[in-house]
Amino acid sequence: MLYKNVFRTLKKQYIQLLLLGVIITSSSFIYSTMDYGVSGILNPTEEYFEISNQEDFAVNLADYFTEQEELYLSETCLITEQVFTLSMLKQIDKSCYYNILDNRLSLITSQIDDIVLEVREYKDIFYELNGNTTKARILKDMSVINKSFMVSGNKPINSLEIAISEAYAKNNNLKINDEIIINNETYTISGFVLFPDYSLAMFGDAFIFDNKSQTVALVTDDDFENFDEQIQFEVGGTYTNYTEESFKTEVIDKYYNIESINTFVTNMIQTKNNMRSGAIYGEIEGGQVTGLGLSVLIIAIGILIVAIMVSKILEKQRGAIGILKSLGYKNSEIALPYVFYISILALPTLIFGYFIGYWFSDTMKNLYLLFYLLPSQNIDQNLMTFFISVIVPFAFLFFFSYLVIRKILNQKPVDLLNPTVSSNKNKLTMVVSKLLGKKRVTKKLKHLLLYRSLMKFTVYLIGLFYAAFLIYFSFSMVNIFDRMLLDYYDNTNYNYVGFCEEVCPSTIGNQDKVITIPSALLNNSEVSVVGIDTVNFLHPLLDMKNDDITTKLDDGIIITKSLALIKNIKVNDSFSLKIGQFTFDVTVKGITKEYSGSKIYINRELLSTELFGTDGYYNSVYSDIELSDEDYALILSNDKILEQSEEMQKIFGLMIGLLMYVSILIGGIIIYILTALTIEDNFYNISLFKVIGYNENEINKMILGGYSLYGNIIFLITVPITFGMLKLMEVMMARYYELILPLQISWYHIILALVINNVVFFIAAFSAKRKLKKVSLQEAMKMYQV
Amino acid sequence: MGIKLEEVTKIYESGEIKTYACKNMNLEIKDGEFIVVLGPSGSGKSTMLNIISGLDTPTSGKISIDKDIISDMNTKELTKFRRNNLGFIFQQYNLLQTLNVAENVEVGREVGIDPFEIDEVLEQVGLLDQKHKYPYQLSGGEQQRVSIARAVVKKPKIMFCDEPTGALDEETAKEVLSVLKKLNEVYKTTLIIITHNPSIGMMADRIIKLNSAEIVEVKENKNRLSAYEINWN
Ligand SMILES: Nc1ncnc2c1ncn2[C@@H]1O[C@H](COP(=O)(O)OP(=O)(O)OP(=O)(O)O)[C@@H](O)[C@H]1O
Ligand SMILES: [Mg+2]
Repeated sequence: MLYKNVFRTLKKQYIQLLLLGVIITSSSFIYSTMDYGVSGILNPTEEYFEISNQEDFAVNLADYFTEQEELYLSETCLITEQVFTLSMLKQIDKSCYYNILDNRLSLITSQIDDIVLEVREYKDIFYELNGNTTKARILKDMSVINKSFMVSGNKPINSLEIAISEAYAKNNNLKINDEIIINNETYTISGFVLFPDYSLAMFGDAFIFDNKSQTVALVTDDDFENFDEQIQFEVGGTYTNYTEESFKTEVIDKYYNIESINTFVTNMIQTKNNMRSGAIYGEIEGGQVTGLGLSVLIIAIGILIVAIMVSKILEKQRGAIGILKSLGYKNSEIALPYVFYISILALPTLIFGYFIGYWFSDTMKNLYLLFYLLPSQNIDQNLMTFFISVIVPFAFLFFFSYLVIRKILNQKPVDLLNPTVSSNKNKLTMVVSKLLGKKRVTKKLKHLLLYRSLMKFTVYLIGLFYAAFLIYFSFSMVNIFDRMLLDYYDNTNYNYVGFCEEVCPSTIGNQDKVITIPSALLNNSEVSVVGIDTVNFLHPLLDMKNDDITTKLDDGIIITKSLALIKNIKVNDSFSLKIGQFTFDVTVKGITKEYSGSKIYINRELLSTELFGTDGYYNSVYSDIELSDEDYALILSNDKILEQSEEMQKIFGLMIGLLMYVSILIGGIIIYILTALTIEDNFYNISLFKVIGYNENEINKMILGGYSLYGNIIFLITVPITFGMLKLMEVMMARYYELILPLQISWYHIILALVINNVVFFIAAFSAKRKLKKVSLQEAMKMYQV
Repeated sequence: MGIKLEEVTKIYESGEIKTYACKNMNLEIKDGEFIVVLGPSGSGKSTMLNIISGLDTPTSGKISIDKDIISDMNTKELTKFRRNNLGFIFQQYNLLQTLNVAENVEVGREVGIDPFEIDEVLEQVGLLDQKHKYPYQLSGGEQQRVSIARAVVKKPKIMFCDEPTGALDEETAKEVLSVLKKLNEVYKTTLIIITHNPSIGMMADRIIKLNSAEIVEVKENKNRLSAYEINWN
């Protein structure tokens, strides 16, 4: 009998229960999809990093020579030509090149104990595949650290064999034993390869994750040496006797004080902080923490809603419960039906969420593989994940709803039977009433009705605050990709960059002379330097407010927003800038709105004078018209870059869209449920006012008016709070993860959020009122006042 | 205002079972008349009152108050009619706990066209000196008098009272009834009181008896007594 009663009561709340179901489902869904998605990569990856001995840290070496090295070049190697860089040296005198490198490594190992170092060499090679330009970063195999790992097939053992990344192969419909033509030679694909120091599918400076036109590759050592393209190198290192912490404090923070090596070591970076090799660590941790955090938050909302619903139902039935108790029913007997129905609602919903999460985790895993070059495996279910995503939230839900029920049942039967609730002495409403003074009573009621129960009102406000934050947060991600990449190309007017061979051709028309320096040191952090003219045609510098700040180059340097965020740099900060052997002091005079790249802009003429004693030097050209291959070593086209980024942009868009959709959905559900519940809470008052003769309009103003007023106030208050939180997130992510999240809200998002809030509010209010209309007035008047 | 019921029937249907709550009721109530409705539980008293006052709609039949036909009105028109003409008192006091006495009365006053002053009405129900108290600080009888004041303040032409003394002891019940009677005499308000207690009928102009959803007796009462003269049993 009791079960039937509870069942019927719950049946009436079916919309709320349905929405509650959605919330509970998404909780277990998010956890299981994130956890399984990540573990499908994490487990094989751990093994892979172990087998291939992934570097613990990387050392960046300067490409120019130290004074001793220059001496060695002229005295021992007897080189007479002008050789500026190590890369150039390799083409001229291999053994000299290796001697200098070996010498550098032994200098480092002699100064820092217990580390092993090995050079990683690579060459970037461009070739045509199916009519598109593709880039292969061909890495020379290493013997101790960062050993290559074959996902399938074999390592190239013969000339003209090549191993490529599986992602690239998939995207271009290539299979093992297929052939590709590079530099007029036909290579046969021997297998699919991975390199532990290249686990991120990201090349260059432009934030383009692209597995379709870029690949890492492995060829035989001889073939590698035969490629004419310029050699580039990095150094990978491992340690045994340090922890991550101690290595940071004892080595990373100190190396630049060691004089014998600081002339050529430009940077030392631990794998976890190194995008190219270690981004996956942060991502996996981040992914799992986000998954757990989100699902905890969501289940907390679920619990809150269950608690409110149960307490409301019980309050309505307090009379009946009082009678049951006076008849001798035990608390547990009365509570059981409620707990029973909550369980049979929650458990299957959680399990359902868990299974769609598991089903979706494969897609999740593949999403990761768009960004990372890592091995993956089929995902097996495990008990732990099931436990955390289903049993734990279930236990919480069960426990908290039981608490609420117990609290109500613990009252004495007499108190339960007594319709005139004795706890109506509410100091708060009296204070508010005083504050409102001599206002008309209907105006007063608008506020007083809300303050009746501080508890419920607080829940309403907090719930709405959370909903508002979710909605603003999702809006702040709109166009995030544009801000990260496209803005730059929209705001500059050049379409081609030509990098000159030795001498640059003179510029014509609207072309700009530029000095491009890929690597320099701004106090000890690596930056790239772009020297442009203060008066230029194609590259205006805009700040966050879209004001042109190019002329500030006359007074100092201008840096990108991302560099400012990562290194916490402010305007008027001064630094020493080290380019090659030259060091000079610079002051930051402006910050551009670029959200990618650690770039500094500097006055080209001044830079040229500093470096060469003349203001006429430049090594690259920005152009709005196509450049000729014959004049330049390399020509990049912005259109091409944008084209390549389109795919990525689509995926980004999809993911962000999904996140936004889910956030807005949850925000909307919170508003809906809270509104519906609070309106139903006013069921009695609405009926009373109707009987007295108030019309629909007046009642709406009195009852809905208050909630919508406070709801909108909360939405407005949340704006500055959200601004603050977003700024904080932006700074924290930049500083601790070197990750740039350009989150922004604009005024029309605020208006849109308010519109969403009010639309949902009125839908909820409308449907709640429709439900109330079904109960006739005279019946309402008979009910207890709660 | 005069009230007229013609062949008013109310049937509740739940599944196969049809329950008559009112059956072919015919009745005329004159302007300013004091009516007491008596009858056993389930005889249809509340239903009749709710239908007359437009809180509920009849299954068939016609209800008119003066020239207005209540049974033809839609919700909006009913609300307007209630607002301008009718007052209600129930067994539950239905006070707003967040408002004090004067403010509760003000809730009723706001909808009146030419309402009384709050103090004037509170004086009539004998609560003027308690107007700043909150409902939880009042006894049951005092709370019921507040609800009377709230109903009266807008000068209703008809007052409907469903068991107004149901929750009160004899002494307080008499206080409340005498206040109601005074209203009827001072303001010429048509007064309809539903009760279980036949002795209350001694205060009225006419007594209407219901049984099994039908009007079984309409009795004139020539000798109206005051609340304190009647023999409570
Ligand atoms: N909403 C309803 N649905 C079905 N039947 C109803 C409904 N309301 C009342 N009834 C039935 O209509 C009949 C008359 O009810 P009503 O409430 O008018 O009686 P009453 O004379 O006021 O009784 P009491 O003195 O106990 O208040 C009863 O048989 C009751 O069961
Ligand atoms: Mg009744």
